[in-house]
Amino acid sequence: MLKRRRLIFSLLAIAPVIAIFAYVRLFPIGEILRLSLHKWDILSKNKPFIGLANFQELFGDRLFHEALINTSIIAFGVLVITVPLAMVLAALIFYRTRSRFAGFYETTIFIPHVVSLVPAAMAWKWIFDARLGPLNALLSVFGIEPQAWLFDPKLSLISVIILCSWQALGYAVLIYLVGFKNLPKSLYEAAKLDGASGFQSFWHLSIPLLKPISLYVGVATLVSAFNVYAQVYVLASDAQGAPGRQVRVLVLDMLENTFRNYRVGYAASEAVVLLVIVLILTFIQFSLLREKGARK
Amino acid sequence: MASLEIQNVHKAFGPTKIIRDVSLSVPDGAFVVLVGPSGCGKSTLLRMIAGLEDISGGTISIGDRVINEVEPKHRDIAMVFQNYALYPHMTVAENMGFSLRLARRPRAEVTERITNAARILGLTDYLERYPKQLSGGQRQRVAMGRAIVRDPQVFLFDEPLSNLDAKLRVQMRAELMELHDRLKTTMVYVTHDQIEAMTMADIIVVMRDGVVEQIGDPLALYDRPDNVFVASFIGSPAMNLLQGSIKEQSFRTADGASFPVNAATATAAAGKSVIYGIRPEHFTLGEPGEGIEATIRLFEPTGSETYIAAMVGGQQLGVLLRQRLRASVGDTIWLRIDPAQVHIFDAATDQRIAPR
Repeated sequence: MLKRRRLIFSLLAIAPVIAIFAYVRLFPIGEILRLSLHKWDILSKNKPFIGLANFQELFGDRLFHEALINTSIIAFGVLVITVPLAMVLAALIFYRTRSRFAGFYETTIFIPHVVSLVPAAMAWKWIFDARLGPLNALLSVFGIEPQAWLFDPKLSLISVIILCSWQALGYAVLIYLVGFKNLPKSLYEAAKLDGASGFQSFWHLSIPLLKPISLYVGVATLVSAFNVYAQVYVLASDAQGAPGRQVRVLVLDMLENTFRNYRVGYAASEAVVLLVIVLILTFIQFSLLREKGARK
Repeated sequence: MASLEIQNVHKAFGPTKIIRDVSLSVPDGAFVVLVGPSGCGKSTLLRMIAGLEDISGGTISIGDRVINEVEPKHRDIAMVFQNYALYPHMTVAENMGFSLRLARRPRAEVTERITNAARILGLTDYLERYPKQLSGGQRQRVAMGRAIVRDPQVFLFDEPLSNLDAKLRVQMRAELMELHDRLKTTMVYVTHDQIEAMTMADIIVVMRDGVVEQIGDPLALYDRPDNVFVASFIGSPAMNLLQGSIKEQSFRTADGASFPVNAATATAAAGKSVIYGIRPEHFTLGEPGEGIEATIRLFEPTGSETYIAAMVGGQQLGVLLRQRLRASVGDTIWLRIDPAQVHIFDAATDQRIAPR
């Protein structure tokens, strides 16, 4: 009897949270899935069911392909820069914790993550500016020609990757620091006695032992990078100054389809593709983790 | 193989002194046990020998070489940690071969040394397993294997058996002693368990609060403890210690109970306030009227021996008898004490009073 009353109490206690979660998380996902199978122009009451027609159209949509490719390049670019760099930075911070500046380093690296995105992107826009930016000024010191960072199609992609990595780094370093703090100290002492240098300990112990953390950081970074939008919107305008056009990304494409072209159902189908990509990446993470668990 | 020489070593963390002026000489091939209650500095001393802690003062030498400033990896020592510190992502073979691999030894030699160590430790069938797939005792052996493959001059053990259950601990104790007999390498072993210390050591070093209280072979420590701390720490069940004074060639407690003391010691300690020590196993049962009258407060027969907590006046004494006894709580028994087995300590200094 008591057990049952406790169960009811538990269910009631978590019900509000579940309700909020369902409303803000699950309901929109369901809505998107539903809308992707319909044609809707935002205003009309008429939402005819059109099956998979939206998805069929996506196959032939050049702008969508461009957005998908750009977004993937940005996401994997951010991944490749952020994960190793964050690990090395976290290691340096962690093993130099006796330094008076340890707290300072930690904060400095985390600030980009909490700073408001648009002003930060504006600052980077200035850094990358072809004529006034400090980046080109620095390059000219080494005799390198000034580059049109934000106008050249390839360079502007690189610029976006740099900005996004700069932002993602703080969070990744923070997670890695927690990982480093949980590694048993005696392992490193044993390695020291076994003759390992600092770098060898890092290579032979830290990297393999932090594999679960790396997987988590990797997927979290990748998923958030797939949602890149504001950075591109501020940073990469085209030659006429239209924001976000130079580097077209998925979220921008969806917004344009929804609010400029009034094709909500079509945009929803793009969102579904993004969702599927993210789900696959998450699945890969889980299966990699499970494989490691099975070996132990 | 090499001797180990510790001279006037200090260690301080800021104003806190952990090790104070410790000197110790370990002959080549000896098995030395550092024993003491937790926080006495024994592990710190071991870590200083290993090079994991800086030495604040004094010198430590292995063989003829002072190693204060020598990197841990160049000290030619190997250490077994309390939690084994096995690399979880490496197999048993990789764990054991890690140091050799870092030293870039030829592959054939690495394999040979691993195989050899595995044979000594009975790990041959487990070389491809991961630490998670091993039992506590097996992990312990891998940790020892990792030390053996390096063929060091000195082995260091930091409470290696404390994570094992009682039965396994006894077994591993025997295996460790066998290993020492076989390798004949100098070993320094840290434990808080005095039974481990007594059974394994050639030399025991009893420490308290960063100071060496006594150094000696196990039976010497048991038979002639230098002070009250060593007397109470070595031996199980613990020695009975009574406060009182020496009057008329015998020991008197404040409430008037009287205990025998040998004449020479009584002369040396005459008139002093002293602590009277007698081990539970040094009582024998007397005929009624013979020895000291005591009342049984607790009666615990275990088959091989009988433990009794007995009241003499206001004092409670632990008594361990080898013979069977039919008695129950509240009964009166008579206890005999051989004065030669009595230890007398100065109550002011806690030091042993020896007959001149």
